[in-house]
Amino acid sequence: MSSHAAPTGFQQQGQRLCHRDDVAEGEARGFGPLEGSKRKVIVVRRNGALHAWLDACPHYSTGTPMAWKTDAYLNGERTHLTCHSHHALFEMDTGQCILGPCLGQSLTRIEIAVGEAGDVFVVAPCEGGVA
Amino acid sequence: MNIVGPDYLVFGVDDLADAIEYLTAWGLKPVDVTDRGGLFETLDGTGVIIRHKSDPSLPPPLPTSNMLRQQVYGVRSAADLDAIEAELGKDRRVTRLSNGSIEVKDDHGFELKFQVTIRRELDMPAEKINAPGAPAQRKPNEIGVWEEMPALPRTLSHVVLFVPDIEIATNFYCSRLGFVITDVLKGAGPFLRPKANDDHHTLFFIRTPDYMKGCEHLAFHMGGPTELMVAGTRFVKKGYQSFWGPGRHKFGSNWFWYFNSPLGCHFEYDADMDKHDDSWVAREAPMGAESSQIVLFEMREKWAPGGPPPGAKG
Ligand code: FES
Ligand SMILES: [Fe+2]
Repeated sequence: MSSHAAPTGFQQQGQRLCHRDDVAEGEARGFGPLEGSKRKVIVVRRNGALHAWLDACPHYSTGTPMAWKTDAYLNGERTHLTCHSHHALFEMDTGQCILGPCLGQSLTRIEIAVGEAGDVFVVAPCEGGVA
Repeated sequence: MNIVGPDYLVFGVDDLADAIEYLTAWGLKPVDVTDRGGLFETLDGTGVIIRHKSDPSLPPPLPTSNMLRQQVYGVRSAADLDAIEAELGKDRRVTRLSNGSIEVKDDHGFELKFQVTIRRELDMPAEKINAPGAPAQRKPNEIGVWEEMPALPRTLSHVVLFVPDIEIATNFYCSRLGFVITDVLKGAGPFLRPKANDDHHTLFFIRTPDYMKGCEHLAFHMGGPTELMVAGTRFVKKGYQSFWGPGRHKFGSNWFWYFNSPLGCHFEYDADMDKHDDSWVAREAPMGAESSQIVLFEMREKWAPGGPPPGAKG
């Protein structure tokens, strides 16, 4: 386990987010919020791989919700995760902001794992991510 | 220069269907809207015009991710357009369109248009309240709220811009166009009202780095705080995302509720803003949570207490 500040609380580890089939290629959906957190978790599928991000735009230190409507996390071209406060664009697979107010900042990654039945769980943050 | 306030804000969006859905749900009325976009009106005719960002009829975009393309200001008469043209023509290009309106850029590169205002005069009651010690505003048997009560935006109220240089922005709007500073949030910027509007503000600036330049939010006047909260509650129930509020600002005294949008900026319902005249002396306060609101709430799911505890005999 990493010694870095964990983006998720201890009590959130093991909580179920969704089933892997709930999120199709190029789509993003919000789940939760997890117990002990105010923010949802965005699950996105990019080039086959699932990534999960805290629904908290880094523009303001408290982090603010990014969709304009339930599950509407992408820009019009559906190429980037988007904060619909001031139109910051984030890469789906790295969480890096590439345009807008949070330029150079990044979304908070939630480490996930997929169980045997296809359920997607939050796991402890670990160095280098999970396979 | 009798500038009344914003008639329209024009946006170049990346998904027209999303924007059309959003603006309709917000309570605006589509006027001649096609799959190329169009105008969405408030009750007095002011509103929002959307086009696809690639539409060649749009003014050029800002060099940021912001989708605002033009702010269209209404003035009282053609003489005011002549006065603006004469003043701004001193140091920049002013384009006169065939319908008499004029187009010009401000000192930060925001596209502006001035036209004889299209605002229709409204004749509707404000929210009425009853309080001990004051004459009742609602007659006997006149009820205050009901499930289907109307709660529609009455007029486009104000625009808030992210600008890199407050001094340049203030100079342009005050010295060149006759806006007046009503109050200042130090660290953010000033609230401005144009000469022909007594609202506390139709324009506010927030200082930001250059790469954020654009529209932070636009706001719509509602008939009162109840209409604001009813409209916001209906909006959240349809799945739209609250950003800040409901609450009540200190400067301007207006109630507020901000929402995210697919137009790349916030949309605000506002209500019951202060009015000012030229005898008002601008106040100053440091920007912060305390100075920006007197109260702040967050919506929660409807709930009601019952009588006895669950399962009680009786
Ligand atoms: S709050 Fe997300 S871009 Fe400003
Ligand atoms: Fe506002």
